Amino acid sequence: MKVFSRRNGTVSAYILAALIMIYLSYSLPAFLPGDFVTAMYSSSHVTLTADQEAQIRAFYNQREGFIRYLGNLFTLNWGYSYAFLTPISDLILHALPWTLLLVGIAHMISMVLGFIAGVEVAWRRGGYWEKIGVGSMTIMEGVPEIGSGVILLLIFALYLGWFPASGAETAYARHSAGEWAWDLLRHLTLPLSTLILAYFPGNFLLTRGSMVMVLKEQFVQTARAKGLPTIRVRYVHAARNVLLPMATRFGLRIAFMVTGALVVETIYSYPGLGTLLFNAIGMRDLPLIQGIVLLSSLIILLVNLALDYLYGWIDPRVKHAY
Amino acid sequence: MHIDVRRELARDPWFVTGMGLALLLGLLVLLGPMLAPHDPHDMSFRPLSPPSAVHWLGVNDGGMDIFSELLYGIRNTVGFGLLTGIVALFFGVAVGLAAAWFGGLLDQIMMRLGDILLAIPAIMILILTAALFRPSPVMLALILAIMSWPTTAKAIRSQALVVKNRLHIQASRQMGASGCYIIVRHLVPELFPLYLIGFATKARMAMFMEASLAFLGLFDPSRKSLGLMIGYALKYYYLHIWWNWIIPPVFLLTLLIMTVTFLAVSLEKVFDPRLKEAW
Repeated sequence: MKVFSRRNGTVSAYILAALIMIYLSYSLPAFLPGDFVTAMYSSSHVTLTADQEAQIRAFYNQREGFIRYLGNLFTLNWGYSYAFLTPISDLILHALPWTLLLVGIAHMISMVLGFIAGVEVAWRRGGYWEKIGVGSMTIMEGVPEIGSGVILLLIFALYLGWFPASGAETAYARHSAGEWAWDLLRHLTLPLSTLILAYFPGNFLLTRGSMVMVLKEQFVQTARAKGLPTIRVRYVHAARNVLLPMATRFGLRIAFMVTGALVVETIYSYPGLGTLLFNAIGMRDLPLIQGIVLLSSLIILLVNLALDYLYGWIDPRVKHAY
Repeated sequence: MHIDVRRELARDPWFVTGMGLALLLGLLVLLGPMLAPHDPHDMSFRPLSPPSAVHWLGVNDGGMDIFSELLYGIRNTVGFGLLTGIVALFFGVAVGLAAAWFGGLLDQIMMRLGDILLAIPAIMILILTAALFRPSPVMLALILAIMSWPTTAKAIRSQALVVKNRLHIQASRQMGASGCYIIVRHLVPELFPLYLIGFATKARMAMFMEASLAFLGLFDPSRKSLGLMIGYALKYYYLHIWWNWIIPPVFLLTLLIMTVTFLAVSLEKVFDPRLKEAW
């Protein structure tokens, strides 16, 4: 007897997870000893005028209902950061594009390159390149972002001075559009390389591993026997089957990746959500931390949900199974 | 079959390297307090003094001996990883076996619960609780373990379903063995390789997260940790301290994560029959 259908099951799992996250964010502060404002204010370095303090106290001590909280969430009414003296939605919406730019490009590059490299290496089974590739990538898989990020920073920003050590653009500089793009790229290089170094090995190893299995299948032999060009056999017939494990792995490792991205942004002071979170933790700005945690969780859930729909498109067998 | 696997592991270069490094790091962790020349919390030394015979790696900005800090820091990281790994493994095995053996509604509820937990990004829960309540590291390790058992449970469940239908299990059932007896005497030992894989991957993730959370400043600042040391040292990166203050914790942390990764990779390779072909 099947109580839950598969597809509805996964979708409702995501919706439930989102509700749990929102509810935790809503209810946990109530468990703080004393009231919320004293709890965060007493242990931070920020000084407020009596007027500001009264305002904040009035805002946080009103216990709103959960439905109201949900409503505020959707209308971007997330409260006020007392450390930055700015609405939280402003801070987050300014930081978010940088994070999406950095993490998005890193994923795209490492997925495409990892996929192609994995397919090509698996095709040339037992070669010299395979040994080197698998060996070095397994080692790279063991290097955490903190390690590679700090080393790249020391070598390329500090010792060689090729790239800027922090920020996303040069402040107060007036540039033409071309110079601005160049400046942006120079700032992006080091954090992006760190993330690619972290994401690429896994993609490569997984693609290669799955591809080696797929190449043993009979339909690959058939395709070759038909006399199709090898590049068509490799990518259209064989490699397509590797996309599904890749997507699955992406979903499973997303928490890992987010952690790494937070750290990388902090190392290079890249003005995304990670650095904002780091600053908020340093100043114990609890509403801001809550906002960032909640928004990032919802984005992660959304990505996972999208991935779930992608499965059906990648592999039609999945769609028919429902 | 057992001897075979052992020989195969002994021949795998990743496993041998990983085990060697693990022994080395294990000694460092166990003997840390004895090896440390100073109390890592002693703040009485001259801040930022360079390495010398008394302070092998110099002194940090707070006047603490960096070498001693290092030895205590790695203990905390390893401890966090092992605790999370053990607790997550325990939950994973218990739920996985129960779901596979009893099936039915229990199975479905547990697996749906697992789906929900998998969907919630564990790191976000950790950040939220750490920022709000500043719980002890043990508490955080337990939360992480509770968030991360489902992957192990799912792997164990699917393998247990295969083993459950094998002949010797059916034989012992027909001879009147109870469910508990079969689970304890047959299922638990037969799934042993999965425990090793699950434990290694969970411990790896936990150590990575501990270092990252400490780096972000979410642990008690007086608790020694490799991540926290890197975070502090980076603030002074423009001084000439990178080789005695920044590199040692980075190196040690990388070595640690690498060791666990090698072990996890080689265990997966040797024990997963599908992957064996691929290598």
